[in-house]
Amino acid sequence: MGDPSGGLAHQWQGNQANSGVPKVQLVQRDWQPSETEILACLPFTLQGSNTTLFPFEAIPAPSPAPSPKEGESARIEHVFTPEAKMKIPNDLPIPIVGLLHRLAEPSLLFRSLERFVKDEDNSSGGLVGQSLKAAVGGELRGYMALVGGLEAEIRRALSMVDEGNVGKAGVTLKRCVVWTREATMGLRLLGVVVEEAKAKKGGQLISRIHAFSTSHGDPFVHSFAERLLSKITTPFYNTLRRWISSGELSDPHQEFFVRETADPEPKITYGAFGGLTNFAGLVNPSNKAMASSVWESKYTLVNEMVPTVITEEVAKKIYLIGKSLNFIRFVCGDAEWVEGHSKIASKEFRYGDTHTLESSIQEAYKATTARLIHLMAERFHLFDHLRALRRYILLGQGDFIALLMESLSSSLDRPSATLYRHNLTAQLEHAIRGSNAQFESADVLRRLDARLLDTAHGDIGWDVFTLEYKIDAPVDVVVTSHCSRQYLKVFNFLWRTKRVEFTMSYAWRKYMTGARGVLGSVEDLLGQDWKVARGVLSEMIHFVMQLQYYILFEVIEASWNKLLSSVNSDSATLDDIIEAHKVYLETITEKALLAPPSARKNADRDESYLRRLHEIFKLMLSYKATMDSLYSYSLSEFTRRQESSARIETRTKQGKWGITEADTSINPLLPDSPASSNSNSHPSKKPKLATGSDPGDLNIIRSKLSQTSTEFRQRVILLLSDLTNQREDSNLKMLAVLLNFNGSYVLPTHRRRAEKEKERAERKAREAAQAHAQAQQADGGLKPVGMRRGGSSRGVSMNREGSRGGASRDG
Amino acid sequence: MPREIITLQAGQCGNSVGSQFWQQLCLEHGINQDGNLEDFATEGGDRKDVFFYQSDDTRYIPRAILLDLEPRVINTIQTGPYKNIYNPENFYVPKDGSGAGNIWAAGFAAGEKLWDDVSDMIDREADGSDSLEGFMLLHSIAGGTGSGLGSFMLERLNDRYPKKIIQTYSVFPDNSSSDVVVQPYNSMLSMRRLVQNADSVVVLDNGALTRIAADRLHVQSPSFAQTNQLVSTVMSASTTTLRYPGYMHNDLVGIIASLIPTPRCHFLMTSYTPFTSDSVEMGKTVRKTTVLDVMRRLLQPKNRMVSTNVSKKSCYISILNIIQGEADPTDVHKSLLRIRERRLATFIPWGPASIQVALTKKSPYVPMSTRVSGLMLSNHTSIAQLFKRIMTQYNRLRQRNAFLENYKKEAPFADGLQEFDEAKAVVQDLIEEYEAAENPNYLQYEGGSSGLGATSGNDAREPGRTRME
Repeated sequence: MGDPSGGLAHQWQGNQANSGVPKVQLVQRDWQPSETEILACLPFTLQGSNTTLFPFEAIPAPSPAPSPKEGESARIEHVFTPEAKMKIPNDLPIPIVGLLHRLAEPSLLFRSLERFVKDEDNSSGGLVGQSLKAAVGGELRGYMALVGGLEAEIRRALSMVDEGNVGKAGVTLKRCVVWTREATMGLRLLGVVVEEAKAKKGGQLISRIHAFSTSHGDPFVHSFAERLLSKITTPFYNTLRRWISSGELSDPHQEFFVRETADPEPKITYGAFGGLTNFAGLVNPSNKAMASSVWESKYTLVNEMVPTVITEEVAKKIYLIGKSLNFIRFVCGDAEWVEGHSKIASKEFRYGDTHTLESSIQEAYKATTARLIHLMAERFHLFDHLRALRRYILLGQGDFIALLMESLSSSLDRPSATLYRHNLTAQLEHAIRGSNAQFESADVLRRLDARLLDTAHGDIGWDVFTLEYKIDAPVDVVVTSHCSRQYLKVFNFLWRTKRVEFTMSYAWRKYMTGARGVLGSVEDLLGQDWKVARGVLSEMIHFVMQLQYYILFEVIEASWNKLLSSVNSDSATLDDIIEAHKVYLETITEKALLAPPSARKNADRDESYLRRLHEIFKLMLSYKATMDSLYSYSLSEFTRRQESSARIETRTKQGKWGITEADTSINPLLPDSPASSNSNSHPSKKPKLATGSDPGDLNIIRSKLSQTSTEFRQRVILLLSDLTNQREDSNLKMLAVLLNFNGSYVLPTHRRRAEKEKERAERKAREAAQAHAQAQQADGGLKPVGMRRGGSSRGVSMNREGSRGGASRDG
Repeated sequence: MPREIITLQAGQCGNSVGSQFWQQLCLEHGINQDGNLEDFATEGGDRKDVFFYQSDDTRYIPRAILLDLEPRVINTIQTGPYKNIYNPENFYVPKDGSGAGNIWAAGFAAGEKLWDDVSDMIDREADGSDSLEGFMLLHSIAGGTGSGLGSFMLERLNDRYPKKIIQTYSVFPDNSSSDVVVQPYNSMLSMRRLVQNADSVVVLDNGALTRIAADRLHVQSPSFAQTNQLVSTVMSASTTTLRYPGYMHNDLVGIIASLIPTPRCHFLMTSYTPFTSDSVEMGKTVRKTTVLDVMRRLLQPKNRMVSTNVSKKSCYISILNIIQGEADPTDVHKSLLRIRERRLATFIPWGPASIQVALTKKSPYVPMSTRVSGLMLSNHTSIAQLFKRIMTQYNRLRQRNAFLENYKKEAPFADGLQEFDEAKAVVQDLIEEYEAAENPNYLQYEGGSSGLGATSGNDAREPGRTRME
């Protein structure tokens, strides 16, 4: 094996020794040329040289290979594209022609192989191709040696013939055929190999040849292929070694199974977003040096280039090792470690030594993976960033979010055009300082930013505000720009939910503390309204609280725990972390109703979850706004009463009548005239009071409240029944359970029909009672209209109410 | 520094409970007896500024005002181990220091005299906070100072800070063993203020506290220190979400908004489990605590810190479970389903209600032998029974016109005893409201002292007009 000139020579010698026995006497006949002449030419022919007897003719390349027509041309079929044919003199007897045909095969093969070896165009085959050529060259040299031996024999024989002793010489054409038989097989094999090698390179080439060694029963073929492999794999193993020791890809001919992508340009897709808001403004396309792209797309694993000498698993590890090393060196800037590593890890690999290869790959794999994780965790604070994302983008840091929302709420109520970023950042700063966010590391805080999304006309601040957490290389390998957008999407939703909770709690506080004072004193008039409204408000608070609990704890917290456990396992690689993080975000978006539970699912159905929630939120906000009107109505009613009692008091003190017609409105005939408003002692306050206390307004408020609450309930029931009936996700079912823990909402599909009927009847009764009460109330509220002092600045509504009041009186 | 809460401690009970509470908070936040942070207390994540502020020398000072009409308990605090944490300007004991003699009226009247000084203190504390969330009053309603002075404070706070949340932790007397004979009077009079002037009242029934202490801690007659520890455990647990901010319930409003749907039904019960030796001296060791165990035990009446009999109709208006420790959301998920399946809790028939859960961190500085512990804040209609008991006792006393002299002497009763009748009416309304809340048509219920429905209200208010028509 070690002999570079190859085994054909040995075989030749062996054959020569064995094949001395069957000696065939050749009888000189009168054909031309004679066997001696043929024998004289034979060594040259076997070396592929032209002789007068057997000239080679080139077959024109472009024309399709002609099928063998006559005996003159010997062609090797299906094995090696013939580049030449050999002319055989016409007037030879058939057996001789047959022999010559068999001898033509190695000659033609040799010619082609030699051309292949001498081919100057080295680049096409790559390094492995070159070494294949070298190996083939070696084999050919062996063949040459054989031919050389043959020639010596022939010469000896011919000289004996000259002495008239052909028979003794024992060199005949037949014998030559026998002698060259083994070599022909070798050449044929080489021919096959070279043919296979065409247009293949690197790993594929190795795989092909490896196939001969593994899937061929012939031990000759096997050992031949093994011999070839041990030579041609050297450049491959060299590349491999450099790759796994230093992460450098020295592969000028693209033969390795890892390939450098020409231009790792990050692909930015805008389409996925549409739904909520336009996030396009957040993506910074100029940021080309993103680690994610280096990691994701700088190198690719080309599966078909993986030679079969190594398993796919090992190939993957090799790929990861080099990629990690490269990443460590260029993105993480830790070239020092890589160099240290390459000193340790650079070992010679050879074909056949699978054990060393695999063990050192395993070792390098462990070392690089561990180092990469270490770097990401310690130097680049990957986990701190993930934690920060959870705290700030996923609202984990409740006190910070509450404070931010509180300080921003007034400015976010305004149109987005009036918002200025520096204002927002100031508020953000304030929220950070005022909450536990202040204990965060400076690095984390630096990345936290408040932004406005691209504003559409008519948006208010709530629609466009977003928090952003800047991620840069190399952490963006985990939190890719796609992930960042998903985070923003989740943030947007959570922020909206939180806003609703905030609004609702704020309202609750206002009305609850109000109950101790102002509202308590108008309870006789508005107590019932307040009670019903509070019932609805608490229903809404319940809804938003349970929704939040579900998303924050059931979804985010649970997914976070999963993420932590998968990230903390010892065998976690960067890819595992990336994957785990991806799954984490996907789970959140799916389960938080933000994304389709599965790709199969109908697109507008999943859209509708989110849209429906938004509709429900809208109703809640509108309900709160109406409650605010009720509040200001109550407030003005309260003020009116206080003023009137104060007036009574002063007048009584002054010795006048406490109550006059003008201000107590006992007289229903008093017209709604501007004069009456002028008679008020506080003209500036008057219009406001009158509008607030306008019973017509109260009716509007009442009907709006009941309308909104009914619609809210309907929508919640709709959402609940959808959540309950869907089958994909048990978590979503849990949301339905949480929202309807005591079965207060009766779903239309409920089986307990009797109960449903009962409930419906009850509700109907309730609604009827409500309507009745309202009607009564409206009545009661209307009557004083004419009697109370009028003077509304909103004369229109007054008039309308007045006429309605009149109508009711008429009835 | 957002959402600060100022604690007012009135009377013996309030101050004893309060001092216990502050001690507990100091332990949980790693604040030592001088108000300085312990060296080990470097871990962030807790928010001290809700209950403490930092003095110029960076010591942590409780936002607490300590009031009493007699010096004994306050003296104990001022000589106790944690004497240095308080702001010395925030103690108030009148110079004569004679106490209120367990007479509500005396306490209330005393309030009038000391209000100028106390309101200065309160204003100073309020000004020292960025965005004051509200006040927390600790008192008992049976004695004189806590109930009388406390009532007075509630009324005044109401006027002075109309938009701030007022929460009280009110210790209700043990009706079986009344050491104060006039405690039904005191309770009744205080109850009126608790109904009208507070936003949320955490009811701590002394009877139940003693029972729990005796049952769970295996002691015949628990000491005051032990029951106070129970209370301070409950208090500190109920404020964990404020002190360890997480996703939700980070301010007082966030906690009670979901608990209290209508203004009057704001009396909250608590349950806590498990009481261990960590939180209470001699606490029983509970071996296994899973989330389900904790959540189930919280629903058991025997763990409630209010002794009531659960009738068939009585139900939860709302529940908030604050779970501390290593609680996995999926365990909570399972527990909720289990509780729902087995119908372990009955809820109101007139609206959606559920067990809300807040998962919070626990203090890293206080070792706990249990994995999980839980506090339940609940709004349960059976609390009306407690008020009924007070009502019965009050009626018994009032029918005989017993012990009224001491009340008549004081200012609130200068014009007669209608104060009693008004208070009784308010409490009667409250009882009715809670009973009404057990019915499906609660939101249509027209009740309350002044809560004649809107329609009738109009008519009643303007009889003349009606007649004229």
